[in-house]
Amino acid sequence: MNFLRIKAIIAQEFYMSYRAIEILMDLVVFPVMSIVVFGFLSKYLTGINTPAVGRSVLMGMLLWQFIWITQYTVSFGSLWNIWSRNLSNLFVTPLTVKEYLFAQTMSGVMKGLFILFLSSLLSVYIFDFNLLDIGLVNLVLIIINLSLFAFSLGVGILGLIFRFGTRIQAFAWGFLPFFQPITAAFYPVHVLPTFLQPVAYMLPPTYMFEVARQILGGDPIDYGYFVMAFTINIVYLTLAVSFFHYLYNKSKESGQFARNEG
Amino acid sequence: MDSSVLTVSHLVKDYGSFRAVNNISFTIPKGKIVGFLGPNGAGKTTTIQILLGITTATSGKIEYFGKDFAKHRSAILQRINFTSAFNTLLTRISVFENMMVFAYLYGLKNPKDKINELLNFFEIAHIANVRYQDISTGQKTRVNFAKSLLNDPEILLMDEPTASLDPDIADKTLALIEYLRESRNISILYTSHDMNEITRICDEVIIIDKGVIVAHDTPLGLTKMIPNAQVRFVFDNNKTAIKKYLDDHEFEYDFEKNNVVLINAQEKQIPKLIFGISKTDILITDIDVIKPSLEDVFLLFARKKHEFS
Repeated sequence: MNFLRIKAIIAQEFYMSYRAIEILMDLVVFPVMSIVVFGFLSKYLTGINTPAVGRSVLMGMLLWQFIWITQYTVSFGSLWNIWSRNLSNLFVTPLTVKEYLFAQTMSGVMKGLFILFLSSLLSVYIFDFNLLDIGLVNLVLIIINLSLFAFSLGVGILGLIFRFGTRIQAFAWGFLPFFQPITAAFYPVHVLPTFLQPVAYMLPPTYMFEVARQILGGDPIDYGYFVMAFTINIVYLTLAVSFFHYLYNKSKESGQFARNEG
Repeated sequence: MDSSVLTVSHLVKDYGSFRAVNNISFTIPKGKIVGFLGPNGAGKTTTIQILLGITTATSGKIEYFGKDFAKHRSAILQRINFTSAFNTLLTRISVFENMMVFAYLYGLKNPKDKINELLNFFEIAHIANVRYQDISTGQKTRVNFAKSLLNDPEILLMDEPTASLDPDIADKTLALIEYLRESRNISILYTSHDMNEITRICDEVIIIDKGVIVAHDTPLGLTKMIPNAQVRFVFDNNKTAIKKYLDDHEFEYDFEKNNVVLINAQEKQIPKLIFGISKTDILITDIDVIKPSLEDVFLLFARKKHEFS
């Protein structure tokens, strides 16, 4: 992989992020507003319930936003290029698809971490909740697992966009919310209907939200959850990258890739 | 020594049961501009997409600089570039930012110097910080050109680069292409629907129809595929006499006006025709010889009016 070519795609993401008001709204304004809403909800729940419940709801939102921003960035960068009729221009340079994927995932993590940092500061100063209360090492492990899940989803959706074009562009922002109720971001898994609980445990974020709640509630940490989430993530990421390559090749065979221009 | 920069051998592209490109082979020599013509749906764009690696060929081989494109994709793409009227750069970011992205993609050591040099060369330095979406069509064409020269390509693929440009900007664009060929010895594969452009700048022309190369020659050589020319006589008297002369010599003709006749004749017959008429008492006041143009050749293939051997 060539560092300059990766830098090119990250630079393009950076230029777009401060030039396009839509991206600023999606990646900064809406997440911050969500944190504000969930911050107040957290305060309210803390007042009528145990503090851990309120705090875990706010923490769930902070971590969920991280997944959302990372996945959104990975999938969405290509759409700006398609809408501008610039995607072909990128891929008639020496840029390889591996470099493109790597650059998109790095952009996603950078943006996700930036917004997580911003939202966390807001939580500390307005809602008296510090995400670091779950421990720096635990937080890093959780972030790594959530990133891997976001990559898998983002790369899979990117493959679908390459294969089917703008017809399925809504997946870029509309697919992740389907996972939100099942991953139990804001409540324990046992709240879910019995038939959904095994499904929830097929999703790595579920383990991470459970672990985070264990820590906030002062319960013993089940470190097996980290291992389980990481293992499933590796399986999903491998499948997602294979799925992407299959769709990318199909797209080039069918001519769709070259037609992916708005 | 083989001086071709691009060699295409037996290229085939099938979309399901539809064969878009049917076993085409051609080469592009170093420093030459090769026109790539064909009616809509002939397979030009598909071929260019395959040559750029964004569409996969069903079979066949592409070699740039003697290297297999399938095996040396990145190394080859480092040495070629592409510009099209139908592709634009990222609209929301500035011209300079777009150029920076591509400069990094081509691994430029001093990207700012190179970008400024190109923006100055194309006289667009003043729009460097303007968002791409806010510049005019002519400026976009020049920015696209500038982008396509960032890596000092040895071969440039140009897909209708002057489409939608006004005649003045199109003329300047063609002048730039001619300058580039002279100054940098770049090879160019050039598609256009404008036959005057093709005639002006191309050394060779390939005509493709239904995925098959139906002609490949110099522009002059192609026009010679049409043996017939036309001669227009303006005369002052005696329509009957000229009619009789043409009938006697079995020419096809049409009186455009009472004193103007348009005669179809083979090019080799034209001197004889003019000499023969001059020996009669018909008073000719003007003669106009209309030779077949590349457009006539193109129309011939596009409309399938004739068969060529």
